[in-house]
Amino acid sequence: MLEEKVMPVAGRIAGQRHLQALRDGIILTMPLLIIGSVFLILGFLPFDGYPEFMARTFGDNWLTKLLYPVNATFDIMALIAAFGVAYRLAEQYKVDALNAGAISVAAFILATPYFTLFTPEGATAAVQVGGVLPMAFLGSKGLFVAMILAMFSTEIYRFIIQKNIVIKMPDGVPPSVSKSFVALFPGFLVILCVWIIRLLIEKTSFESLHNVIGQLLQEPLGALGGTLIGALIAVFFVQLLWSTGLHGASIVGGVMAPIWLAQTDANRVALQAGKEIPNIISQQFFDIFIYMGGSGATLVFALMMLFMAKSQQSKQLGRLAIGPGIFNINEPITFGAPIVLNPLLIIPFILTPLALVITTYIGMSTGFAPKTAGVAVPWTTPPIIGGYLASGGNIRGALMQVINLAVAFVIYYPFFRMWDKQNFKVEQGANK
Amino acid sequence: MNILLCCAAGMSTSLLVTKMEAAAKAEGISAKIWAVSASEINNHIDQADVLLVGPQVRYLLPKLKKTGLEKGIPVDLINSVHYGMCNGAEVLKFAKSLLDS
Repeated sequence: MLEEKVMPVAGRIAGQRHLQALRDGIILTMPLLIIGSVFLILGFLPFDGYPEFMARTFGDNWLTKLLYPVNATFDIMALIAAFGVAYRLAEQYKVDALNAGAISVAAFILATPYFTLFTPEGATAAVQVGGVLPMAFLGSKGLFVAMILAMFSTEIYRFIIQKNIVIKMPDGVPPSVSKSFVALFPGFLVILCVWIIRLLIEKTSFESLHNVIGQLLQEPLGALGGTLIGALIAVFFVQLLWSTGLHGASIVGGVMAPIWLAQTDANRVALQAGKEIPNIISQQFFDIFIYMGGSGATLVFALMMLFMAKSQQSKQLGRLAIGPGIFNINEPITFGAPIVLNPLLIIPFILTPLALVITTYIGMSTGFAPKTAGVAVPWTTPPIIGGYLASGGNIRGALMQVINLAVAFVIYYPFFRMWDKQNFKVEQGANK
Repeated sequence: MNILLCCAAGMSTSLLVTKMEAAAKAEGISAKIWAVSASEINNHIDQADVLLVGPQVRYLLPKLKKTGLEKGIPVDLINSVHYGMCNGAEVLKFAKSLLDS
């Protein structure tokens, strides 16, 4: 029943061209963010006397210099996404992906103001400084503009190419010459459209496309996805999909990743500016604090199989599952136990992550645990280390994970016992 | 024999690759076996003789079967029990049977 109802819908969402291009295109930013995170962590280690020590050793400007790579990775997130999303979408349409990517980057820059506001020391009013691209818009603030323009420009690009629009040249013009003109046409049309859009928006009080999309789309979606209810719904769907054996994180992540990524980066910006970190919900909230051992928080289940099982089958699966489980990969458990389509194990598989969302949310909102500091910790980072790094090197981040592991243990344990007993009985029967 | 495996990130299938390589070695078969994420398939499929798909991305199967038809290679789903237990020998046998038929 579940299979019949869930499968086609999930398939359609996951296979949808634009969502797939979004997901695959944004992945292009991840290696850069992880590299930038190394420098970010080093800049904000929460040890007493650390900033003073660094200033003594490397000079007063040490932090600015240390964070150069952070600006070159986090702060061009949207620019990279503009290229990546267009590239992946063009691939789907089987048109020249490299060209589509380049055109999309140009379209994105065309939608961005070429000036920034700057308040000189001692002045009361900000002055407009020309000849620059505002870094903020090239980073997570511009992420949605980049994604939308990447799709818009690639749609125009592939439409013109697939319609095979040709410019008729008089006889005597060499065919390669006319071809080279035709090749320019799709890109020209993209630039023309975005240019007109920019001119129109400059006439309104929004001033730029970034403000339109920021206020009408990115901020409301961030507010929605950043709530406790939003997180619970997302996690519920991830678990429901996995319960039928479908990759829930990949399907739900395709829709939610841009929102959570923007939330992550807002925390990073606040950390860097020395302000209070705003968002509890971020990509790392899920990857690091909820899905310990993989979707379903199954690390404790792997440990139970390894150390507490009576049945040989459970023990054997435990030995197989513990290695990947430490790195948050749990397909051996989901398909091997199996949890998939197994009513007994689906119950804790769905309940545990939901409970962990609530404990982590409470922990972070009361200040017991630090909020994620915008550090892009890879989702394969083992628990304890992951919590420490995601909170910017705070031991209480690791402690939050320990508490979550304990909660997961309590929920999984009775179901593990019943499941192991079943396996044991089957084995005893087979031996008689 | 070139066997390409795919799942969402190419991570959990890489686990199976190790087991399949061991099985191939034990049987004395020379085979190149590797795993990629679903988005990378286009860059790898030309080198493959057969494409095996992880059960967690089985919603991609219709599309991948079409790609396989264009490239003239068999494409099919890995049995989820074999997948879960990382049964390299069985999956290798399955790959061979796809190639033989």
